Amino acid sequence: MDETLGAIRFIHGKAHTLAIRFENQVLELLPRLRRFAIGLAGSPADGDDLCQMTIERALARRDQWQEGTRLDSWMYRIMRNIFIDERRATSRRRETFVDADAGLTIGSDGAQEAQVELGMVDRAMARLPDEQREAVLLVMVEGCSYKEAAEIVGCPVGTLNSRLVRGRDALLSLLEDGQ
Amino acid sequence: MMVTDEIIAAFADGELEGADKAQVEAAIAADPLLARKVEAHRALKARLAAHYAPFAEGGVPPHIAALLESGGDERGTDTVDVVSFAAERQKRGLAPFLRRWATIAGPALAASLVLALWQPWQGETPEGYAGGKLAAALDTQLAANQSLDADTRILLSFERQGGGLCRAWRGADAGGIACRDDTGWKIERQFALDEAASGQFRQAGSEADLLAAAQDMAASGALDAAGERAARERNWQP
Repeated sequence: MDETLGAIRFIHGKAHTLAIRFENQVLELLPRLRRFAIGLAGSPADGDDLCQMTIERALARRDQWQEGTRLDSWMYRIMRNIFIDERRATSRRRETFVDADAGLTIGSDGAQEAQVELGMVDRAMARLPDEQREAVLLVMVEGCSYKEAAEIVGCPVGTLNSRLVRGRDALLSLLEDGQ
Repeated sequence: MMVTDEIIAAFADGELEGADKAQVEAAIAADPLLARKVEAHRALKARLAAHYAPFAEGGVPPHIAALLESGGDERGTDTVDVVSFAAERQKRGLAPFLRRWATIAGPALAASLVLALWQPWQGETPEGYAGGKLAAALDTQLAANQSLDADTRILLSFERQGGGLCRAWRGADAGGIACRDDTGWKIERQFALDEAASGQFRQAGSEADLLAAAQDMAASGALDAAGERAARERNWQP
């Protein structure tokens, strides 16, 4: 009898430890996740919103994450999926309400309250198609291998490689023009 | 081997190994143009890394970290009920300047409404003060952690200019701002709100007016989840 109770207590204890570990691991990843979010969304304000949505979704789906797999890749994937979905929804609304020539303001609605002025790099990044921007960020900023980045984005490695090159070339020419 | 831009990028990013890598190295040694491409790629990588590094080095905003710190026990098993912040924002259609507020007022995380019906001023409610269910909601509900279909939803809590804690709430067709004093929850502002259609679409304008009024009264920002919980623990005293 006592042994059974002990075993139950042990299981509970273990479950609790795992739960704590998940949240702590996410907490450790937060600075990097936030950097990726700000890069994707184009401003700290929008990036923080994206970051918050990502954490909410990750907590809701924590049982879908498999222990032993890369939590960072899993979180990056959730984040970019939310971002792509948001952008689709936003552009649908934009088509209805906003001058299509909104150009640079896309993805930076929160610019007025952003703590950092939009610089050259931000503006150049904002001009890239989402698929190129995420490839550039994952490889050149987050330091992912092509294979990791391709898995996060959900495309073949070759596709990731060519998006990266197109994004890079566009950035180089935008940054050159601006100087 | 044809050295494409893709291959050059892969080389510059350290993706190539063995024979492939050796071949590209040989090609670069023979062609200064290729060498410049590698250099340009690496220079851009360094520039981007430096540009974004501060965001990973500066602290994480407290309201984001709080999502992970306050977790655990309270969320219990109903984590599936997390409401999409994005959907909420679209429903509300808040003006950009209110967005920072929306991050706090927006998500009703888990459906674990606290049902402590403690009321210090039982019986009659003084004129101009919240009574009954509203007072109970103001006393107990947390903006970050309440049922989405609660009759009264707390939109946010904040410290007002000159001290004291206030909370903005809304029901189906009205809302307001109440501030805590020695007597109870004094109603400072009241708004008739357009009827919210069955919880699906919240009328954008009027709730934004309410949040704007709250912002005008507030000393600084809204309380985050941890701040709000702490305020409740000290019974909404400053």
